[in-house]
Amino acid sequence: MNEYDEKWEDRINALLDGELSADDAELLKVEASDNRELARAIVEAYQLQQVMDTIHVERAPDSLRKRLRAVPRQHRAKPVFSLMQPRWAMALAAIPLVLITITLMRPNTPSEADVAKARQEMAIAFAYLDKAGVVTRREIESTVGQTMANAVTGSVNKAIQSQNLYSKEKKA
Amino acid sequence: MSKKYRQWVREYQDQAWTVARYILKDAQEAEDATQEAFVKLWNNQDNIDPNRVKPWLMKVTRNGCLDRLRRRRDNVEFDESHMAGEVNGPLQDATANETGVWLKRAIGGLKEPYRSLVVLRDVNQHSYEEVAGMLELNLAQVKTYLHRARKQLREQLAEVRP
Repeated sequence: MNEYDEKWEDRINALLDGELSADDAELLKVEASDNRELARAIVEAYQLQQVMDTIHVERAPDSLRKRLRAVPRQHRAKPVFSLMQPRWAMALAAIPLVLITITLMRPNTPSEADVAKARQEMAIAFAYLDKAGVVTRREIESTVGQTMANAVTGSVNKAIQSQNLYSKEKKA
Repeated sequence: MSKKYRQWVREYQDQAWTVARYILKDAQEAEDATQEAFVKLWNNQDNIDPNRVKPWLMKVTRNGCLDRLRRRRDNVEFDESHMAGEVNGPLQDATANETGVWLKRAIGGLKEPYRSLVVLRDVNQHSYEEVAGMLELNLAQVKTYLHRARKQLREQLAEVRP
């Protein structure tokens, strides 16, 4: 199709589409009166348009209409994944809890180094307790002994004083 | 069922079906392709500009049909001879108008995008601008291709007419 043909086609189609101005349409008719090929193209275009007018949009078959009505029932919108949805938020919140639980429930299997270190710490602790025990025992002994002495001397002194007071009253 | 979806089905099912029917030339496949397009419409209804539903749907329908044609070609060469005995779809009013029957066959025989252009513009009566949007062409391309398609049809018509 050469450029000349394209220009023809543009004008013929514009004529059929009603987009050609009255002046241009008149000019085309004049041109066609001197050009047999152009005149034939215009006639054929009109004939094609007449045939085109006989075909229309087809009515969709009932089976398709039924299928299209069923689409919402059969193709529910897929849920959109969102971390903000409550169930996903809850699931996310549960993850640390699950991890903590698993960690706590896991049996403790300390290494040999841990055991040795623990034994050492326990030995130090017991040694300290022994030492503390000795000191405490001495303090208890000294404290209890002093108290007992005070209790004895105090009561003796009281007895002597009351005896003296009684003797004075009797003399008088 | 979504109210707006029902409205779209009412308004566009015939146009989408016509596009699929002309491109695929097979009623069952055209039904499947049209349904697929509406399923996509249903699933994307919140993302589509309500004012652009028609061109969106026609474009999706056409693209789905072209995909099917490609797959069909990849598998086996589709036998179009059954079209001669076809009595349903675009050819269903064959008895009423022989020239109309001929024209439908001739449109079906056009290559893409000529066939889609003729169906969308001359059969479905969409505007040039709408067709341009559906086929992702500019307005000048739409007109040029459509004029070529019409010229082919015109020449074929002149051959069959006495």
